[in-house]
Amino acid sequence: MSDMITFPDVVNWAVPFFIAAILAELVWIAIKGRGGRYETRDALTSLLMGAGNVASGIVLGFVAYGFFMLLWAITPLDLGTSFAVIALCFVLDDLRYYWVHRFGHRIRWVWASHVNHHSSQHYNLTTALRQTWTGTFTFMMVMRAPLILLGFHPGMVLFVGGLNLIYQFWIHTEAITRLPRWFEAVMNTPSHHRVHHGRNPRYLDCNYAGVFIVWDKLFGTFVPELDSEKVDYGLVHNLGTFNPLRVAFHEWVSIFRDVTQPGLSWRERLNYCVMPPGWSHDGSRGTSFDIKTRYISDHPELAESPGFQSHDPRG
Amino acid sequence: MPLSILLPMVGLGIAGIAVILHLLGLSRAAVLGDEAAARAAWLRECPDRAPRRIILSHDRHAALIETDAGPGVVWAMGADTTARPLKDARIRRTARGLCIDLPDFTAPHIRLRLDPDEAAQWPTHMKDSA
Repeated sequence: MSDMITFPDVVNWAVPFFIAAILAELVWIAIKGRGGRYETRDALTSLLMGAGNVASGIVLGFVAYGFFMLLWAITPLDLGTSFAVIALCFVLDDLRYYWVHRFGHRIRWVWASHVNHHSSQHYNLTTALRQTWTGTFTFMMVMRAPLILLGFHPGMVLFVGGLNLIYQFWIHTEAITRLPRWFEAVMNTPSHHRVHHGRNPRYLDCNYAGVFIVWDKLFGTFVPELDSEKVDYGLVHNLGTFNPLRVAFHEWVSIFRDVTQPGLSWRERLNYCVMPPGWSHDGSRGTSFDIKTRYISDHPELAESPGFQSHDPRG
Repeated sequence: MPLSILLPMVGLGIAGIAVILHLLGLSRAAVLGDEAAARAAWLRECPDRAPRRIILSHDRHAALIETDAGPGVVWAMGADTTARPLKDARIRRTARGLCIDLPDFTAPHIRLRLDPDEAAQWPTHMKDSA
């Protein structure tokens, strides 16, 4: 078995590129007077979240890596490290990313980690770096287990995951409107991902893709960006703080408060962890499905338009 | 990448970008142009609570909202806004206006810069509409 294989930590090596690209986007916006917005505290919070993500990876990365190496030790399969295998691993890992990301929006326990990425009301390259500090606690590393058990080396799986994250960096921009039609049809683009960051009822819970938008088209979660409806970025209930600690942990605190309130059954306590964000035992809150349903009741003429077509409450 | 290179690069990168943004004048707080803007900002967060009365702060960085379900406040969050109903709020006078303490982990302390007469009147309005 190829135990001693090493792959570069591409995300860390991309840091200079991230900084240069942010400065380039900022210069572009300043010169052109369009193509996005920046605000000091928002950007600072995003960048600190990114730094915290790297730090949490250094501190807690051993948990996932140990799990992956354990799987590697027990699997009898080894696909090697040819270019074709790395390319196949990249595509399959992107499918893995699609489902992890979809779970991240539909299971509150996973949303608690991912929510901070959506907590900015801006959409620029710093937003891409507003990443979780608590991903380890979602246990979503199990979604990589099939790849390793199939014979893809753990180092390779982490390497292609890093490439996936780097790809997603540049799509967090308003400076690029639309790309050639063939590219928009296959790849995740700034336009597709702007929709994903929208808090408009139409744009909630869609476009989960990392690199290839074809997964959303395949699984019925694709919504195009409409020129008639500008994306409103942020959360359904926007934060009232720029404090990175509150940004990182607020949904975990909220889960804790919900789960520990008196008078609930154990099933209700569990549901506060695993049901979609917005679920409540007494129906006093609203999930994305509830929000869409209410919106359609106020605007029935939009019922079959993108984002509202037969929206499935099960996610 | 060695930590001895990564850490200074991240630190200097973050600090440098923040300084550039501030020098470009991108630290200005959002301004609520008129009552319609304050209404829109409130409804963006609380679409089911129609405002009955809106009181803009003199500097237009915040607005007190009265609704049938109780008072609320809209305030500037950087270049944007957010809003909260004031259920279970504790209101304190500060040197610059008011501080509203909420049992809300995402908005625990709303610090409003208000003129002295506003700071004196707003708590009364908040109680009257509660």
